[in-house]
Amino acid sequence: MTLLVEVPPPAPAPAAEVPPARRSAGRRLVGAAAPYLYLAPALALLVVWTYRPLLQAVQLSTLSWNLLPTSPATPVGAANFREVLTAPELGDAVGVTALFIVGLLPFTIVLPVVIALSARRVRGRARTLYQALVFAPMLVAPVASAAIWQWLLDPGSGAVNRVLGLQVNWLADPTAAQVAIIVVTGWHVLGFATLIVSAGLGGTDDEYAAAASVDGARPRQITWRITLPLLSPTLVFLTLMTILLSAQWSFPLVDTLTQGGPGDATTSIYYLLWEYGFRSFDAGHGAAAGLVFFVVFLAVAWVLVTLSDRLSFHDD
Amino acid sequence: MTDRLRAVRGHLVLAAVGLACVFPIYWMYATSLRRPGDVFATSLLPWPLSLGSYREAARELDVVGLLANTAVVAVGVAVGQLLVALLAAYAFAAYRFRGEKLLYLAMIGTWLIPFQVTMLPNYVLLYQAGLLNTLAGVILPQLLSGVAVLLLRSHMRSIPGELLEAARMDGRGSWGTLWTVVVPVLRPALAALAILLFVTAWNEYFWPAMVLQRSGAVIQLGIRGFLGTEGVRWGPLMAASGLACLPVFALYLVLQRQVVSAFVRSGLR
Repeated sequence: MTLLVEVPPPAPAPAAEVPPARRSAGRRLVGAAAPYLYLAPALALLVVWTYRPLLQAVQLSTLSWNLLPTSPATPVGAANFREVLTAPELGDAVGVTALFIVGLLPFTIVLPVVIALSARRVRGRARTLYQALVFAPMLVAPVASAAIWQWLLDPGSGAVNRVLGLQVNWLADPTAAQVAIIVVTGWHVLGFATLIVSAGLGGTDDEYAAAASVDGARPRQITWRITLPLLSPTLVFLTLMTILLSAQWSFPLVDTLTQGGPGDATTSIYYLLWEYGFRSFDAGHGAAAGLVFFVVFLAVAWVLVTLSDRLSFHDD
Repeated sequence: MTDRLRAVRGHLVLAAVGLACVFPIYWMYATSLRRPGDVFATSLLPWPLSLGSYREAARELDVVGLLANTAVVAVGVAVGQLLVALLAAYAFAAYRFRGEKLLYLAMIGTWLIPFQVTMLPNYVLLYQAGLLNTLAGVILPQLLSGVAVLLLRSHMRSIPGELLEAARMDGRGSWGTLWTVVVPVLRPALAALAILLFVTAWNEYFWPAMVLQRSGAVIQLGIRGFLGTEGVRWGPLMAASGLACLPVFALYLVLQRQVVSAFVRSGLR
């Protein structure tokens, strides 16, 4: 189950495995071990930095321990999980996460489609230039973008309030802070989503639209009845990414701009997890929360991938 | 509506969105280039130009040192990820072996595991190994990139079999084939992937933030230190942020097409 845009290879090449024609037993042994030798560095890293900690998190999740080597860890069974699942802040965090997802959809679906459709009418260097402009925000380091936006959103002298003639204290008012986080995150991911949609458009067949045009369909009808349905796999994919990754995308900005506040207005699930891990200094609690998140994340990903096959329109 | 009119409308939409997207970046550099007294000015062009904010940032932060450290981390991570992924992808693409599918899934599945789950145990391990507050501690845990393995594997599978066959006829072993046939053929793909990994590593913030908590040794953390203070001084902050973005933008200007295609292919980030 990969959620990645994998570019299909042009032609599957036959495996390059070397047939052991006339080789000594020793060389054959090396031959059989070869793939594992090539894999060894990756596997070592995988075990040490991913799966060992995953198992350790399972173990930690049943303990109460404040991370200090000198203090004892007490086993508490499933208490950590119960606490995590019944914590009042969990519901709020789910709500904030849902709000981020809904708020980001215009940036990952609507605007990219508008941009990509407009870009079809524009050719040559101008098009490359526009693409470069839209894509640039993705390359800005999260911390730098936090700095930029804190400056732009500054209540007194920030460009946003001055240009719009407003007096909003963007990062101190709950609703305004939520809007700010959504817009800044949207600014970051817009270029990426636009590229995906453009690639999707490039892959659809122009013949349908041409045929409809000959039959007297108007451009608007062609867009709504033909182009968008043909694009649906791409749109479903982007929706899926938005649902799964919104909290992740906004996380660095939340951490640097609002620290989850004001109050809990911008504390998404992902940020809550981070707080459990490092602010509360209860390793067991943090591990339990992380595992719950992981399992739910897996389940959601699984459901979405299964659903996406049914939701998209195929042209065969 | 004629085609011509539609093209004009297309230009208008794209120009508007494009300008809105780069304005914040432009404003950062504009602010950083104003004279320290003019930081609050709203003129679109920062005139007269001044490097005062950069000088102030340099007084406060060891900008050159921080950039050098960040470069070491980013290059180390990107080169390491590329090498590890190259070898792993070669195993997956060129051999059929026991456990292949399981190992592949285990590797690709890494990005589904939220980093909050693994960060605590990894932090403890770095502590025990004495690697906290070292650049090696930042680089080591990031050396495996599932995306890189996935991409390189699919590229390797598209290499014509005759090429590999010819290498075998020449009596080359699998190791020789990898370096004399596969790597040269994949050079464009490797370059694009290297750029992607470098940019991602350069912009990475959380792992360095945790490992280097007390030393603030990469540029991202230097900027964060600026942000936290009361009464932010915007000039030097924008100067430091602008410098932090500069290498990536420079790379982007030179290699725009490769950067874009690398990001699209990876589908992530």
